[in-house]
Formats: sequence, C-alpha cells, structure tokens
Amino acid sequence: MRREVLRLLRERGPRSVQELASCFSMARPSFSEHLRVLREAGLVSERRDGRRRLYSLEPVPLVRVRDWLDPYERFWRDKLSALRHLLDDSATADTEATGTKTTGITTTGETGAGGRPHDGGGQPEDPDEEKQ
Amino acid sequence: MSDADDPTVLRLDEYLAHPPARVWQALTDPDLLARWFMPGDFRLSVGHRYTMRGTAMPGTGFSGTVQAEVLAFEPERMLRLGWRDADPTSPGGADWTITWTLEPEGRGTRLFLTHEGFDPGNEMQRRARSIMDGGWRRLMTGSLAAVL
Repeated sequence: MRREVLRLLRERGPRSVQELASCFSMARPSFSEHLRVLREAGLVSERRDGRRRLYSLEPVPLVRVRDWLDPYERFWRDKLSALRHLLDDSATADTEATGTKTTGITTTGETGAGGRPHDGGGQPEDPDEEKQ
Repeated sequence: MSDADDPTVLRLDEYLAHPPARVWQALTDPDLLARWFMPGDFRLSVGHRYTMRGTAMPGTGFSGTVQAEVLAFEPERMLRLGWRDADPTSPGGADWTITWTLEPEGRGTRLFLTHEGFDPGNEMQRRARSIMDGGWRRLMTGSLAAVL
C-alpha cells in the first residue's frame, strides 16, 4: 500500500491527504499512520498549503534506488520517459495549432488527472491545483 | 516485487495521460518511434523484420542494434516483438520477446512493458540482472524493508 502511495505521488505530483486517502479503502487513522511511516523514512515530505497538508515524493532516496536498477530496467525507464515527453509535447502542439483541446488529452501530463483511484471518489479536480 | 524473483522477465508499467489510440500511434509510427525509441523501418505487419539502431547497453554485452520482428498485435491493445542482437557474436546473446500492452485508465492509458527471455545461463545477462537482485536485497534488509 505504501508503494502504491509512492507511485501515485510519482505519477501525479503532490497530493493532499484527502486525495490520497480517497484512493484507498482504509480508515483515515490507519492511512495517516502509513503516511507517517513514509515521512519518517524520508520518502515523502509534508507541507502546509492553507488548510490542507500536501504530500510530495522526496526524490533523493529513490534516486539511490535507481542506481540499483539493472541496465535493462534503466534502458526502459529512459525510453518510457522519452515517450511521455513526446506525447505531452505533441498534445501541447496540437492544442496550440488548433486552438482546441482534444478530448482526453491533458497537456500538462504530470497531473495525470482522472486516473482510476479518483473515480468514484466524487471529488472534482481542484481548480487551483496547477498553481501549487 | 514478485517479478524481481524471476530472472527471465522484466515488467514495467507507466501511466500516460493520453488515450490508447495516441499511445498506439507512438508505438507503431516509424517517424514517432525514431523520435522516442530508435530509428528503424518498422511496419505493423506480423512477420515483418526490421533493424533498429540504438546505443549499446553498457554492462550487458548488448550491441545496441536490434534485429526485430513483429510477432503479434491487436490494434490499440497489444504489440509483441521479437528482439535479437543484430551482432550474432555479441556476448549478450539477446533473444528476447518484448510485449507492449495498453489499458485505458481514467482519461489516459496504462502502458505495460514485458521484456521476456533473459537467459539465466548467459553470464552477461545474469550479471546485469543480478545488479538489481543484489541491490534490492541489500535495500530490503535496510531501512526500506521496514517501510515498503
């Protein structure tokens, strides 16, 4: 479950406790306990944003993990990263060229909005998300 | 971590904030492939053989030039490729199957990669794979083991 939290933060950027908790069917106190473990291990960090607490991935320990990846995995990770950039760039170019946003393509890539854990949570995307 | 126990297969997945049709295009259009993957005369047709020139993978014995073949595909869902090292004398002895699988997820796509056929009997492949093995084992006995 904690790995899943790290994955969410890696793919979708900083998230509030509420947003993270909505992705898991788990009582809030238990969930907070998992976050605390991750925080104390230095894998995530917490900062206040108004009344919300935002969690972010701390990249440093995971960079060390990456050094252990075998060369094949590093090869594929690099390729997938290039693919992501190509898709994000071309989506942006399309939007600029046509002046319309193609359905289903987010131009910001990093937010990864609308992934499965949000569905059913009934939470609209935070309108101020991009400014954080 | 279950796949880390199997030295013959490598699995990765990545969420992409783009619909499967778009991701499929990037996987099968030679011009797009040249931009993010490797240049080569790819054609979406089972049995088509082509060559891709990439860079050598340090520590693996892989020359970087791939003799590839389209083995199977389902549009916007799955693409399976055979990969051999184009240099038959390469100590890496690559003879692999690469499978891309696309699944819609939310407004985007989850792209799965399966890289199969690592030969535990080949010293170069075994060594490259064991870098991860040993690394993970060391990590898992340390602080991360308690956390993850």
